[in-house]
Amino acid sequence: MHRFCSVCVVLFSLVWPCLVQPQTPTSQPLGLTSLHEGNCSCALRLHHTEPTSQEGLVMTSRELNPQFYEASRAGRVVQHHLNTLYGSPFRVYVVTQVHTARTEDTGDDGMKYVLEFSVKDWASEGPECKASAEVLYPRGDVHQPPKVQSSPDGLLQANTSDKEQAFYQRYSAAAGPVSAKDIPDSYGHIDPEMEHFWHLAWVASSFIMLNESSENTLYSLAQVAKVTQLNIQDGQLRFELQVLLHDMVSQNINRWKLQVSWSPADGVQVLEMELLPRCHCKSQTRP
Amino acid sequence: MKLNYRVVQSLQQLVYNYTNYHTMDEISDWIQQMEKDHPDVVSRMVYGTTYEKRNITLLKIGLNNTMPKKAIWMDCGIHAREWISPAFCQHFVKEILGSYKTDGKMRKMFKNLDFYITPVLNMDGYVYSWKDNSVSFDSIQDYSMTKSVNLPQQSIVMHPLVGISRNCCSDIYSGERALSEPEAKAVTDFLSANRNNILCFLTIHSHGQLILVPYGYPDIIPPNYDELVVGLAAAKAIKDVHGMDYTVETPPNVLYANSGSSRDFARLIGIPFSFTFELRDKGQHGFTLPEAQIQPTCEEAYQGALSIITYVHDKTFASAAYTETATLVLGLNGVITGKILCMECLMRI
Repeated sequence: MHRFCSVCVVLFSLVWPCLVQPQTPTSQPLGLTSLHEGNCSCALRLHHTEPTSQEGLVMTSRELNPQFYEASRAGRVVQHHLNTLYGSPFRVYVVTQVHTARTEDTGDDGMKYVLEFSVKDWASEGPECKASAEVLYPRGDVHQPPKVQSSPDGLLQANTSDKEQAFYQRYSAAAGPVSAKDIPDSYGHIDPEMEHFWHLAWVASSFIMLNESSENTLYSLAQVAKVTQLNIQDGQLRFELQVLLHDMVSQNINRWKLQVSWSPADGVQVLEMELLPRCHCKSQTRP
Repeated sequence: MKLNYRVVQSLQQLVYNYTNYHTMDEISDWIQQMEKDHPDVVSRMVYGTTYEKRNITLLKIGLNNTMPKKAIWMDCGIHAREWISPAFCQHFVKEILGSYKTDGKMRKMFKNLDFYITPVLNMDGYVYSWKDNSVSFDSIQDYSMTKSVNLPQQSIVMHPLVGISRNCCSDIYSGERALSEPEAKAVTDFLSANRNNILCFLTIHSHGQLILVPYGYPDIIPPNYDELVVGLAAAKAIKDVHGMDYTVETPPNVLYANSGSSRDFARLIGIPFSFTFELRDKGQHGFTLPEAQIQPTCEEAYQGALSIITYVHDKTFASAAYTETATLVLGLNGVITGKILCMECLMRI
């Protein structure tokens, strides 16, 4: 909210794009950073390259307001990325706040966003930790997924292995395959037995959400429409899911079908994914 | 079906549960009950019909006066799947009716103002959202074909320019033409007819924890932008309740640009204070906010809305009280110069 005090002041010069007072860009690279804050035991190290010019091209760098949409969309991409790497039925990461953000136009390679943010494991209600990462949105006529760079250390994967093993054993040996729908239901209620399937679906959906992300999207999992357990294969629990993914920018909710596998050792993998058709319009679409 | 009415047998009364989500039928019954229970201050008004011919109903709340009164407009449930929104309108009504007899300030507002509160604007969509989660964002013209329309963006102003889709299958399809949807037309007709008396327009949505100020179209600033920062005071009032952060901004900055919204329409026809509230949360539960969060969400949003309504009331009716409020809220001196577009200029876009 403090930032809005500067908004009020800037208003009276009133050039709309100048609502944000630009900060002096740092001239030093961020480098490797070990971030241990108080009791926070996680550390997300930045793997970061200095801005360099290629073939005489000058990188243009622009500071962003971390509360505005560009920073929050890039922060969400980082969140999806972390969940594809480290998410599990007991670990789901949420980027809670972006603290600083800037873009670097790398030319043909695309637009790079450099962020400092706070992240927490929402599933285990872990501590909030500060971290930093880069997101590169490739350019081109055909959509390509953004590339994210971050290098967490092993501390991120502590504390959930016992619970994951117990969950794995339970559903490997269950009498009948699990199946459920509407998680959460319309009342926002989640059966305690289903909570970790919600987390699993959230992590699996992160693969799709990461793939589909661009500078003009902000994806989240709206609901797990269906989850059906399939036979164990190669030591992996397998599930077929139908998920509803919401994009805040287009306000679309799309239904995806996916097949996922999971084990404590191998993490979440998405084996198949398919966008299901949405509707059949009666009227013509206008040009 | 959950038991939503608790019968207190000793008193033979029905007690409505404001911490659960209610069906359209339950809300319709509640609307009638509010009028019955508070006949001196509450009256129902039907101001339009939905596509499926349901009566769009508001509660007019205030002490009766033979002279026309200034008014506050609040609508909930324009986006059908945002269930916390109708829950908030019900909570708001309960709170103001529960306090006006004992709270001097609220009683003064009941004397000077009428509250026009629509608990569920998009009734067709709300009914449908109780059957199907994935199609409930909009009014439903033909849900067998799931053609649907984004109601807030039906307004005639700046329709349609940005933040909309011309594809009838998109969730932000803005309709065949401006005001093609009866629900949108009902609202704009009512606002237009009462534009000289409506002081404040509040439209309640979820999610995002935002207070959005005009305009949705980038690079256009309303002439009273400095007064719209009263939204900041509302965000502070919200945070004081349960510590939740609500960001106050224009949609192009914090979300995405959009045009033709009802909030912008209200501002452009001269309603001076126009806000969109986006309630909890920030995406973890999203539209399916757990019922356990209904009470705290409504409590904080109530303080936020009340902060704005109190400011607007004091500005209009009590100049001494306004000066104090304005000093606290604004703390600014100066004159706006630069890129201000006049209403006529905007209407030509």
